[in-house]
Amino acid sequence: MGLAVYLGKRGVRLVLSLIAVSILTFTLLQLAPGNFADLQRVNSGATNFGGVGTESMVGELESRYGADVPVWKQYLIFMKGAVVWDFGPSYKYASRNVQDIIAEAFPVSATLALLAVLLALLIAVPIGVFAALRQNTKTDHATMFAVTLGHALPSYLTAAFMILLFSATLKLLPSGGWNGPEDLILPVLALSLGPAAVLARYVRSSMLETLREEYVTAALAKGGPRRTVIIRHALRNSLIPLVTVAGPLLAALMTGTVFVEALLRIPGLGLYFANAAASRDMPLLMGTAMFFALILMVTNLVVDLIYGLLDPRIRTVGGGSHDGH
Amino acid sequence: MTATEGVEAVVGTMSTGEPEPIERGTTARGPWSRAWSRFRKHRLAFGSLIFCALLILTALAAPLIAPYGYEETDIQHKLAGPGAPGHLLGTDLLGRDILSRLIYGLQTALTVAFGAELTALVLALAIGLLAGYLGGRVEQVLMAFTDVMYAFPSYLFAVVMVTVLGRSIFALVVAIGIASWVTQARLVRAQVMTLKEREYVEAARSMGAKGSTIAIRYILPNAIGPILVTTSFAIPAAIAAEAGLALLGLGVQPPTPSWGAMISEGSRYLLAAPHMLVAPAVLFALTLLAFTWIGDGVRDAFDPSGEQR
Repeated sequence: MGLAVYLGKRGVRLVLSLIAVSILTFTLLQLAPGNFADLQRVNSGATNFGGVGTESMVGELESRYGADVPVWKQYLIFMKGAVVWDFGPSYKYASRNVQDIIAEAFPVSATLALLAVLLALLIAVPIGVFAALRQNTKTDHATMFAVTLGHALPSYLTAAFMILLFSATLKLLPSGGWNGPEDLILPVLALSLGPAAVLARYVRSSMLETLREEYVTAALAKGGPRRTVIIRHALRNSLIPLVTVAGPLLAALMTGTVFVEALLRIPGLGLYFANAAASRDMPLLMGTAMFFALILMVTNLVVDLIYGLLDPRIRTVGGGSHDGH
Repeated sequence: MTATEGVEAVVGTMSTGEPEPIERGTTARGPWSRAWSRFRKHRLAFGSLIFCALLILTALAAPLIAPYGYEETDIQHKLAGPGAPGHLLGTDLLGRDILSRLIYGLQTALTVAFGAELTALVLALAIGLLAGYLGGRVEQVLMAFTDVMYAFPSYLFAVVMVTVLGRSIFALVVAIGIASWVTQARLVRAQVMTLKEREYVEAARSMGAKGSTIAIRYILPNAIGPILVTTSFAIPAAIAAEAGLALLGLGVQPPTPSWGAMISEGSRYLLAAPHMLVAPAVLFALTLLAFTWIGDGVRDAFDPSGEQR
């Protein structure tokens, strides 16, 4: 199967999945009890929040969707906007368009996620190699035990422990907010430990496998220095399988940012998504949800492509890692 | 709907679903008793099982064990530190006993987690068995549906579901259950696909057994090992999901306590009252670890060949 055909197929599937996700989200949110405008009126009366502009919001809603328009038509109107990157104004953050909020908040989340991946790799590769070289020793077991800890705890819990240690006890770092570069440290650290644990486990088992390969034995037999052989021959080849976990890992990271941002009050996409859900800000919720879904699907596609490039066997089978057929 | 009930129920049906081929080189003991004896040798997992059993008992007997009600306020002792008279772990902003709230929070966490995983298991078994066994058009439709759901990031889906259903235990069970059944369904189908080609299934078919009999009596019992492994890892994930949703302000309606909400509250009064964060974070971490170690034990018991991945 040619690469173009493969790409085309995956592209079509991505678009179809995205449409399915949007229909599901839109329909479900329409089913949510209470018409949005009414809810907004009730809330503004009760909590004194957003009292101003509520009427104009209703007007906005009606001018965008029209009064008494059936749900499917509203969906089409929404999608017509979404295709040209126009999700309309948010309700909670009145006077701001959803796409502008996304454009402002996404870089924050992306910075966190990318730095976390980088840090995770920096932690995981040495640890994995170290444990593999000492297979079945006490050091190996202790390292793998630590890895289990990192793996089992969600990133927001790690973040909670970190603010207890670094903010409450040592008083070194701020316990949240987004004012300067020092605010990056805790979230990135918290986000990276989980992925680092997963990666370290993979590096270790992959390293163990490559160390048993004949070319490694041959390189050693030829008298190559152990360090060089391990780094040049074994490590290089054992890093390839890591690409397969990159997809799920990035998805987990994306999930992690939502909760860590909420706990540490970082104005990233995750925080806006959570706030939109809590306040029933429909356009913002739809916009952020679609954006998250798009990012995840594109990431998965890219990961599959990279893996295909690295390992030609997968290309000939003609499926991504998600094709179970 | 408790932890052990769920697992025990599965184990119960398993040990009676006997017509499994006896593997060569093993004694006539069923795979279940072999798995159990392997599990028991896994010290960390066995200890975790005991710990989790205690947690479940505590959750069940919460009104008897908790020193106060979860709403009860002690106005005189707001934000009391741990060890304050009458409040072992201190009180929160409103003067509510933290230990009591942790115990009721445990109830919330376990109810949601077990409820959600039971929902997910039932859905996954139904869809996976149907798709894997019937094949053809049914399989295509079911798996196309599963693929769409697979593309849907599960926490996005859970958030949307809670928004729709409201903030109740039921809503959380449904939201987390539906968000997590997909992986399981794919696993069940894969299992069924391999198992239905086995000779003993063919033998049963040639003897005229009905499709449903084959699916339930012959295929299901042999597919259950891997399914049990994923389920036992899914339980800590569901506990984390419940707390996570609460952290976002989408958990159970206050004042019903949830660990996630307690953690989020604690982080806001970090400097004034760190004990508000320490207690839920530590208990939450221990619970997650214990359930994960049980999962490790279950995995090793069913797959003694070593690391799964």
